[in-house]
Amino acid sequence: MKSKLWKIVAAWVVITMLASSAACVTPAAPTITPAPTQAPTTAPGATKAPQPTAVEPTKAAPTKKIITFAWTQEPDSLNPWYTNMWFSTTLHQLFLAWAWEFDDKNVPFPRLVTEIPSLENGGVSQDGLTITMHLRDDIVWSDGKPITSADFVFTYDMVMAEANSVTSQYPYDYLESIEAPDERTVVMHFSKPFAAWKALFWRGVLPKHVLEPVFQAKGSLQEAEWNMAPTVGCGPYNFAEWESGSYIRFVKNPNYWGPAPKIDEIYFKIVPDDASQTAALIAGDADVGAFIPLSDVPTLKGKGVIIMVESSGYAEGLFFNFRDMANPGARDLKVRQAIAMAIDREAINRDLLLGLSHAPETLWDPLAIYGYVSPDIVPWKYDPAAAKDLLEKAGWIDRDGDGIRENAKGEKLTLVYGTTIREIRQDTQAVIQQQLKQVGIELKLVSQEADIFFGSFSDGAACAVGSVDIMQWSDAPYFPDPDKDYWLCDQVPNADNPWGWNYFGCDPRLDELFKKQLTLMDEKERARVIQEISKYMHDQVYWYGLWDDPDYWAVNARLTGVKFSGVTPLYNIAEWDVK
Amino acid sequence: MTRYIVRRLLQAIPLLFIISVVLFILMRSSGDPVATLGGRRNPRPEDRERLTRLLGLDQPLYVQYIYWLIGNDWTMIDLDGDGVAETPGQQKGVLRGEFGTSLVVRGKPAMEVILERIPYTLLLMIVSEVVIIFFSLVIGVFSALRQYSLLDHLITGLSFLGYSMPIFFVALVSMYLFAVEFKSWGLPYLPTGGVFEPQEGNTLLQVALHLVLPVTSIAVVSIAGYSRFVRATMLEVLGEDYIRTARAKGLRKRTIIFLHALKNASLPLVTIVGLDIPMLLGGAVVTERIFAWPGTGRLFLDHVSRGDTPVVMGILMLIAVAVIIFQLITDITYAWLDPRIRYN
Repeated sequence: MKSKLWKIVAAWVVITMLASSAACVTPAAPTITPAPTQAPTTAPGATKAPQPTAVEPTKAAPTKKIITFAWTQEPDSLNPWYTNMWFSTTLHQLFLAWAWEFDDKNVPFPRLVTEIPSLENGGVSQDGLTITMHLRDDIVWSDGKPITSADFVFTYDMVMAEANSVTSQYPYDYLESIEAPDERTVVMHFSKPFAAWKALFWRGVLPKHVLEPVFQAKGSLQEAEWNMAPTVGCGPYNFAEWESGSYIRFVKNPNYWGPAPKIDEIYFKIVPDDASQTAALIAGDADVGAFIPLSDVPTLKGKGVIIMVESSGYAEGLFFNFRDMANPGARDLKVRQAIAMAIDREAINRDLLLGLSHAPETLWDPLAIYGYVSPDIVPWKYDPAAAKDLLEKAGWIDRDGDGIRENAKGEKLTLVYGTTIREIRQDTQAVIQQQLKQVGIELKLVSQEADIFFGSFSDGAACAVGSVDIMQWSDAPYFPDPDKDYWLCDQVPNADNPWGWNYFGCDPRLDELFKKQLTLMDEKERARVIQEISKYMHDQVYWYGLWDDPDYWAVNARLTGVKFSGVTPLYNIAEWDVK
Repeated sequence: MTRYIVRRLLQAIPLLFIISVVLFILMRSSGDPVATLGGRRNPRPEDRERLTRLLGLDQPLYVQYIYWLIGNDWTMIDLDGDGVAETPGQQKGVLRGEFGTSLVVRGKPAMEVILERIPYTLLLMIVSEVVIIFFSLVIGVFSALRQYSLLDHLITGLSFLGYSMPIFFVALVSMYLFAVEFKSWGLPYLPTGGVFEPQEGNTLLQVALHLVLPVTSIAVVSIAGYSRFVRATMLEVLGEDYIRTARAKGLRKRTIIFLHALKNASLPLVTIVGLDIPMLLGGAVVTERIFAWPGTGRLFLDHVSRGDTPVVMGILMLIAVAVIIFQLITDITYAWLDPRIRYN
């Protein structure tokens, strides 16, 4: 009896050990019909049809170059107009192309067009109301059909069709009309000049010959197979398969109209957990990872993984609420300025962010090289004594000795400070609460899940209804464009306009400046206005920067030629190679 | 027995109805699907307004529930925002077998999204459950027979240790040890996650290798608990009179332990396992996340945080149905194991 039990246990142990020792010497085994069902996302037969490189993932030829990305979120759709996710749009440079893309300095370069339209080359008319694009004549879809202006017009029609219920119609809803006088020309007409066009238009094009039949048959593109399996594209790689929850695979595009890519296959493995992503990068199970948590950066560097940093315009900051229902303290400029001097940002960056970032002064700091930040801005210095002084002079005095200041009317300087549940934000809240206590300001902390925190006015969400005085999150202008529409007066949410997103307040001067900059097609003129905005917002403390939030990429040392952009991150994927 | 089963099944119908109402209300109150749309940037107000209308989220809660239950193809809905309902609806509703289309993976039916993941969840959880039951029985019986021996004390200590460790700790430590460190030390190593290495393909060996760490993480905590349980019930049964009688009659030890003692001792275990099995469909959320295992647990987590009611309700209703069915099976198994139990 005893020996039988031992035999059974011993047998299990031996089997497990044998299995794991076989792990490191596993040759590619022939594919057995998988028990889990193949995700029905590949268009039937599409991976086998005209692509001579449709590869079965088995007998890997020893010279085939394959790299793996670790993606912490799974895309919800691969159609550019059905997603808001960075993890989806970043794949565009593999299987699609934008009209123009952006390099590692975030400078635009032409891609599907021969040159980027501008006032100088006549692509942009003098009155700014007409933009003309000339397409290259060698661009083709992966099935060999040429890309023409008809595809652009079709894309516009599909975005604007209500039946498609796309995620966003911006900025195509600005267009008055669009036309294709010939196969190589697209002309866009605006009723007012729209200065942000270069950063926002033609982030992808839809293949008319593939999707128009679908739209006509089903009345909508929502259920098109192409959304989840875009087998026809125009980038250096073709979509091959998407195993739901596991990975997405891309293979070289033999019909690519540009210089041939060097790597044969690229896998995007879905690895939701940050610690698992780091483990995969160290073990070499993944070659590239995005949004590496700062605390893992030293570990990865120590193991020989290369860390690359690229700004995509984001910065973490405090947004101040100066609407009618906000605390009188938040509405008082002197209080906001005192808060700006009472927070030790250097300590936050040093201790919570490992000294790997620094505090920006304005939302446009990541675009400073374009001259959008005023040179006259004086950065806020940590000076609690000066903060206390400013509060005293402004009439905020601790009259009852409880450590919290009141104004002459007896209203307490107790502000509500809210953010989402991310750990770094919770830590920051605790630190800032302590620092402001030193100067007599009390903070009530609120933290909620993102979809609740950013809910709508009709849902009674905290920011929308104005119950939070200081809101914290990471945000960016319409990078690489400096436009930002958060402070427009007509966007303050109320019963008549429950969808407005101006949770902060109406300042007529700011409203006018923001509206003006969007109509200035001359880049120098526009930069001047943005500078004015940046200084005004800084001095009024409408937005207070806490730390830069660039993209942290981890790259295995065996890869070469790797560069990242902040706008079109994988813009030079065709040049990547493995040693 | 048949009448009993039929009665139980009929009782399940109002129960499921109540469950669905409660879950739907909770789900729709817990966040706005168009608040972030999963992106870094919040959607524009015009787009939010448009999407809320097009996805049917502007209707009152009870109307949304009715559409979810019996569909809206018998009525008109307002798609273009002018206040006049002009377009016929497309949904058939749950009672006709359609759980709606996902709000996150737009255009894809919710059932399809769930069914893609279920095989992986079942694979992981069935293997885990088999491992758990086997080792719990082995260790529990062994401990009971060798009560207070050195080995029993050792097993007891390890059980308490295993039981108190949070599952994510076990998962991460085992991943770092067996996948990362073993590889850097040149020892045979296990993979860090996923179902199979994409380059190697979906082979039996690959899946087996990738199952080792997740199954171990899930099993360690449960085995620690269940083996104590089996040990306790075995000790209780071994002290019973009928065991003494069996020994007196000269039956072989093996027969006594497995046929008489274990069969009686396993009755409470059947209850626990019967409660566990329907939870398998919910998946081991933490383990699936850490080991990048594409199961329904992770699906649930991802879609709940984005307010995807159709998919989340689909998973929850599946679990509810599974609980009811498996409770019934547990009761029937009871009657089989213990002839003294009758249900009429």
